[in-house]
This record gives sequence, C-alpha cells and structure tokens, in this order.
Amino acid sequence: MKTNGMRLTVSVLALVASGSMALADSMDDLVAAAKKEGTLTTIALPHDWCGYGDVIAGFKAKYGIEVNELNPDAGSADEIEAIKANKGNTGPQAPDVIDVGLSFGPAAKAEGLLQPYKVSTWDTIPDSAKDAEGYWYGDYYGVMAFMVNKDLVKTVPNDWADLLSDEYANTVALAGAPQTANQAIQGVFAAGLSAAKGDVAKAGEEGLKFFAELNKKGNFVPVTGKSASLAQGTTPIIIAWDYNALSWRDVLAGNPPAEVVIPKTGVVAGVYVQAISAYAPHPNAAKLWMEYLYSDEGQLGWLKGYCHPIRFNDLAKNGKIPQDLLDKLPPAAAYEKALFPTLEQQAAAKEVIAKQWNDVVGAEVAK
Amino acid sequence: MNQSRIIPWIGFGLGALYFLIPLIATFEFSMRMERGTYSFKAYRIVFADPGFQASFAYSAVIAVLTIIVGVALVVPTAYLVQLKLPRLRPVVEFLTLLPLVIPAIVIVFGYLRMYNSSSILPLTGSARGTDLLLIFAYVMLSLPYMYRSVDTALRTIDIRTLTEAAQSLGSSWPRIMLQVILPNVRVGVLSGAFLTFAIVIGEFTMASLLNRPAFGPYMQLIGANRAYEPAALAIIAFAVTWACMGLIQLVASLSPGSKR
Amino acid sequence: MSTTALPASAARDRRINWSWVGVLPFIAFTLFFLILPAANLIVGAFQDANGAFTLKNIVNLGQPAIVRSYVLSLQVSAASAAAGVLLGFLLALAVIHGMLPRWVRPTLMTFSGVASQFAGVPLAFAFLATLGRTGLVTAILMTLFDFNIYRAGFNLLSFLGLTLTYLYFQIPLMVLVITPALDGLKREWREAASTLGATGGQYWRMVALPILWPPMLGAFLLLFANAFGAIATAYALTGSSFNLITILLYAQIRGDALHDPNLGYALALGMIVITGVSNGAYIWLASRSARWIR
Repeated sequence: MKTNGMRLTVSVLALVASGSMALADSMDDLVAAAKKEGTLTTIALPHDWCGYGDVIAGFKAKYGIEVNELNPDAGSADEIEAIKANKGNTGPQAPDVIDVGLSFGPAAKAEGLLQPYKVSTWDTIPDSAKDAEGYWYGDYYGVMAFMVNKDLVKTVPNDWADLLSDEYANTVALAGAPQTANQAIQGVFAAGLSAAKGDVAKAGEEGLKFFAELNKKGNFVPVTGKSASLAQGTTPIIIAWDYNALSWRDVLAGNPPAEVVIPKTGVVAGVYVQAISAYAPHPNAAKLWMEYLYSDEGQLGWLKGYCHPIRFNDLAKNGKIPQDLLDKLPPAAAYEKALFPTLEQQAAAKEVIAKQWNDVVGAEVAK
Repeated sequence: MNQSRIIPWIGFGLGALYFLIPLIATFEFSMRMERGTYSFKAYRIVFADPGFQASFAYSAVIAVLTIIVGVALVVPTAYLVQLKLPRLRPVVEFLTLLPLVIPAIVIVFGYLRMYNSSSILPLTGSARGTDLLLIFAYVMLSLPYMYRSVDTALRTIDIRTLTEAAQSLGSSWPRIMLQVILPNVRVGVLSGAFLTFAIVIGEFTMASLLNRPAFGPYMQLIGANRAYEPAALAIIAFAVTWACMGLIQLVASLSPGSKR
Repeated sequence: MSTTALPASAARDRRINWSWVGVLPFIAFTLFFLILPAANLIVGAFQDANGAFTLKNIVNLGQPAIVRSYVLSLQVSAASAAAGVLLGFLLALAVIHGMLPRWVRPTLMTFSGVASQFAGVPLAFAFLATLGRTGLVTAILMTLFDFNIYRAGFNLLSFLGLTLTYLYFQIPLMVLVITPALDGLKREWREAASTLGATGGQYWRMVALPILWPPMLGAFLLLFANAFGAIATAYALTGSSFNLITILLYAQIRGDALHDPNLGYALALGMIVITGVSNGAYIWLASRSARWIR
C-alpha cells in the first residue's frame, strides 16, 4: 500500500513537473517561432482605445517583433471582411489577429475564418465570455457611461432619468449612429434597461421610447459625439463606453474639465473578443500576441487604458492590481450592477433598436 | 459699366466669405488647446511628429504619378470618344461615374482578392507592387473628375479641325496627342490634376488597408480621439495641399504653349 | 476627309481600328481595376449569407424604410447639385470674365481643388463650429446683432443644413469643371454680339448658354453622383437622424452592429442602377438640346 501510494505520488509529481516543464518549453518554442516570423499584423487597434498604444509598444519591446498596424478606423465588420479578402494573401495586408464585438465571434467562427488557440491563462477567463473550443475569447469590457463637459453643464446627471430634465436642452448625444454603431445601440439599450427597471426583454423598446422623449423635449442632439464636439460645445453630454470617456477626459487634460459618470441604473457591459485568423500569415506571432495579452502584463495594460480586462476578477483576487491604477477607475461598486447581455439578448435588442430607431424616435429632421 | 464691375466683386466676396468662415471657425477652435488663451500648441504637437513629412512626401509623389497615369489614360479616351466613337460615350460616362457610388472599401477588398500574393498578378506581394496598385486605385477614384474636366475642355476646342490640320501636315498620332491636343486642353487637365492631387493626399481607406505609409492614415492616427489636434491638422493639411497646388499651377504656367 | 492615297474603304478600316485600339487601355483599366473588383458586390447582391442564389435582397429593397432612404438621398443630391451648379457657375463666371485682378483666378482654382475634397469629418466639424448652436457665426450674430438664428427657425442639423454643408465641396467642383468651358467663351463673341445690337440677355440666351449647356448638364450629373455617394459628411453631421442610403449601406457593410453584407450589396446595386438611369436621362437631355445648339 505504502509503496503504491508512494508510486502514485511520485508519478503524479513527475507528471506535474513534466507538464509545467512542457508548458515552459512550449512557451519558449512559441517565442522562438514567433521571432522567426518577425512580424505581427493587427487591424482596428486605435492607440487611444484601451491603451493599445502602450500595449503594442510593450509587446514590441518585450519580444522584438515588428507590429504592422492596419486601418485603426476599421469596424468589426471590416475586420471580418479583411480576413475574407486576404485569404490567399500572405502579404502585410492580411491581418493575423482581430478584436471584434461579441456577436462577431461566433459569426466568424461559423464562416470558418478563425483558428482555435487556448492561452495558458485560459481557465481564468469566465466561461460566458469564451468559445468552448477556443475559437474566440473575451478580452475586455466596459460599461456605458455619461461624459459631461463641466464648463457647459452645471449639474452633472446621475442617472438616465435625469437626462430628461429641462436644463439639458440640446446637450445629450450618442457616440455613433444607432443604425450602424454598436456603441450607440448599447447606449439606447442601457437607457431602456433603466426605464424597464431591469427587464432585459423590454429594454430595446423602452430605450427607443426614452430617446423619443429625449428628442421631443429637445434634449437630444443627433450628432456623433466625440471629444472634439464635447470641447467645442455641440455635444456637452456624450453617452459612450466608460473607457472611451475616460481616455477622452485624460486627453482633454482639463480643457474643458470633464466628468465621467456611471449611471445608477441601467448599467450595461459590452464585451469584445480576440481571435486568430484561420489564414494568418504569422500564426506563431499571433499566438504569442495572445499569450501576451492574457498575461498579467497585457491585462493590466488594458486596465491602464480604462478597459476592464476579462481576467479582472482573477487579478483582483490575487492582489495583482496596483492601487493607483484602481484609484483612477470609477468606483468598483458601480460595476457590480453591470449586466452582461448574452448573445441572444444583444441580438434581440439590436434588431429592435437599429430597425425601429427612425420610426419611433423620429429624429428624422424636417425640411 | 461701373455697376457690372462691382457685381463680380460682390460674387467673389460672398464666395470668399462662405469658404473662409468655416476655416476660420476651425482655426479658432484649434487655437483653444491651452485653456483660457489662444496658442499654437496643437500645431506644435502636430509638427513635432516625424511622420508628418515622410507620409506627406509619399502621398505627394503618389499623387503626381496618379496624375500622369490619369492624364495618359483619360485624354486619348475622351478625344477618341468625342471624335470617332460617339456611341461609346454613354458607356464611358457611366463607367467614369461608378467610382463615386461604389464604396471604396468594396473596391479595395476586391483588389486584395484579385491581386494578392497567390494570384496571377501578385501585386500585393511587394512594396512597389502595392504602390502600383495604389496608384491604379487612385486613378480610378479620380476618374470622374479628370474625365469630366478633360471632356469639357475638349468640347470647347474644335478637335476635328485641329486633327485634320495636323494630319494634313503629316503628324503622327502620338504627335497630335502630345503637341496639338494636350496643350489645348491644358486648363481641363489642370482642373483634373488639382482634384486628383487633393483626392490622393486625403485618401485614407485604401492606403490603410493596402498598408502603405500615406498621409491619410497618418492623419487618422494623430487625430483619432483627440479634440484640438484634428482641427489643427485639418488646417495644416488644407494649407500644405493648397501650396502644392500652387506649385503645380506654377509649373503648368511655365510650360511652353501656355498663354496665361 | 482622308488625304491619304489609300482607297476609301481601307482608310476607313484603318481609322476604326486605331480608334478602338486607342480606347482599349481605358476599357482594360476599368475592367481590371473597377468592374472586376466590384463584381463581388454585384454577385453578392444576389446571394444570401450562405452563398446560395436568392432574390430576397432585391425584394427587400422595396421596404418602405429603404425606399424613403433612396428618395431622401435623391433629394439631397439633386438639391446640392442644382445649387452647386448655379452658384459655382456664377462664381466661376465672376472670376473668369469679371475682370478681377489677375491673382484671383489661380487662387480660386487651387482653393477649389482643396475645398472640393475636404474630408467629411473635418467639414462637418467646421460647419458645426460655424453655424452650430455654439458656433462662431451663431455667437457673433447673437452678441453683435442680438439675432438668434436658431430661434428664427434655422437648424444646421436639417435638410437645409446638410445641403449647405455639401455645397462646400459641390461649388468648388463645379468651378473647376466648368472653367474650361467658360474659357472657351471668347470675349470677342460678346463684343460682336453687342455690335450687332444684341442685349446682354440675348447674348446669353442665343450665344453663351447654348454653348455652355452640354458641359453644365455634364457637371450637374457629376455633382449629383458626387453627393449621392457621399457618406462621411452626412454621417458626421446628421448620422443618426438623416437616413441617407449611404448610411444604410455603411451600416450593413461596415457597421459593427448589424451585419448583412448581402443587403448592403443590394443597396449598392440599387445606387449603381440609379446612377445609370440618371446618366441615361442626361444623355437624352443632351441629345434633345443638341438640336437647339446646332
């Protein structure tokens, strides 16, 4: 018995040791293979979005691999299309990795555009935010927030219902057009969630009704809100993802002073997902990039850009997040109420909001 | 007599107001980067970036090449359509309008499919090859403007008589094109050249997806998510492009055969 | 006509041959760099998400929302093209024949080149910074003349406002495109006409306009198509309120929310058809007025 137990222990220990050695070996192999490829091609990664500027620079410095950045202005659909159009192309126009909205992950997988890969920290990614087979995996999320120009707006709104007040005439804007931009649709959805008191099924309709009223009262400005329009005065209140709002606030550097508020009710989280192209010209560099993004270093890089990395809870539990970084973020309590809509809920809301915006909100302007 | 001299001045004045005021408003905003005072801070930031000169130079060279290819393509075609093949005119005009309504992004994805490294004509396989592809893309984008300008210019001169006269003097076709027709449509070619230059300098989507270091993608990199720098950049790009056009105008007016 | 010594038929053959050879580069170019790359679009309009043939996308074009979109786009394009042709013509006329100082013309030409391609986002911003609620001109009018244009009913975010913004690139385009024609209008003809007793109006009606009519019609078509295909300005200025067809197209092909590229391709196909129809209308109008010209 004792010898059996000993044998078991020794063999288990050997297995574990060999496993971790294998892991370390495979990581070294990966780094070597990636360095041999020498380049990584990314797409749709603006430097001010989630601190990607620093994240990319960190990757380049750590591994000495060139990063070839395509079209930072691309939307999720453009990224998918870029993979499709570059199927036979091994030139620098073919993206290796993509960062797209949640609903685009399964769609791309179904079209056979992705290849699976499970990073070494795979288990710490919440199940609801990844594909079981490893084709796509959530990378970061943010919640819908208000960005307020304090020079032009005296009382900062705290919740969606506040926006209907008379003092906000000609001030409220979305960060895109609700027919095309996910950020705008989620904004309407969040408003609706607040109005529907948490009933997700009704959130789409209620959101449209809310904006119809906002428009009727004259509070809604149908211009795409950006930091420039906030500073210039056309859109003193913008409804956008918190990471966008926070990064805009930093860039404005107090001119004008801006405040980012997470509404009390109707807190909606939006998840983005990473994936490797099935036709990636540099698959090893792509895998190394994923390893980097999902390492503590990469995840904290996103946090510096105000995006909540997908492993946030895991990192917080292990005390890996520096306090000064935590202090720069909005209070954690605001995020506890965040709703993470499922793919089906998102699809249903998008359907309602995008298709019925023009009819219900009637922001179609007169001659 | 006096009254008819004032009216053009009024027209010009109103036009100048309409075009300059939005630029002034943009300029005023770009000066507001430092709180409470007007300063050139946004401009300093833009100029400090090393990528500015390199990307502008690249785009300027591509623009000049695009103009040359465009003129070589459009002038003979417009000439032949007017003189010999009037029935082809509807087809040619329709084709020249297509670049305005087909989204550029659809076209560039089409290029990537057709000319990628594993196709018969692997243009994207090399940097020079991709440059060539980009030039062709821009010629296509500027086709509507170049064609319309040259076509209008050809209408105003009597190409039939000119051609016959040149032929009766024994000119070959290339000589007719280069030394008889082209100098006479100089104004049209110049208009087309201005439009082409401006298109190429500001174009973003194609340059970005074909991964070339052009000015458009550079502007996007600087301006995205910022407030004051994009306004400064718009003014700078406007000014520099205007200056380049002035240069083109100067070169054109110095060439032989020009009256003005 | 022919001054060669060849028999007439051989000479004719040779001439036709050369003409077709002459346009071959153009045909080949548009084939390889315009039509074939965009072929995906035409094929895709008739496919569904799985690649099977279907007419569903075309049928969907008949949805009231989409039809309204097309109509709105046509209205904006026609309005900005018409205004652009008229105002651009007057501006070019003033500069070319108005006996202004010599520096005015090249300045206007080069400026028009730049202004005609002024990108959508900075252009929309420029107009918001000028005539928006917090714009420079709005503020000046309020402080100096106590006149609030918004209370008087003006709104930049409207059909009028969008057309006004579009004119910023339409007018320069017209100026550049009509200048060669105005150049061809010799001053001697004006003088000759007045020596023969014609009034200004008669000169215009019987000499100048017949000559200018075909290029002006062609310019209108160009400006129309230019506005029809414009997306960036509209999106940046009135994106969520003005449902132009290009915005709808953008939503399907590029947007990150809906993603039905096949419907997007069908929308684009519809735009191409409309462009073809307007081209046909232009040809018809031009040929009818050709009688008047001759």
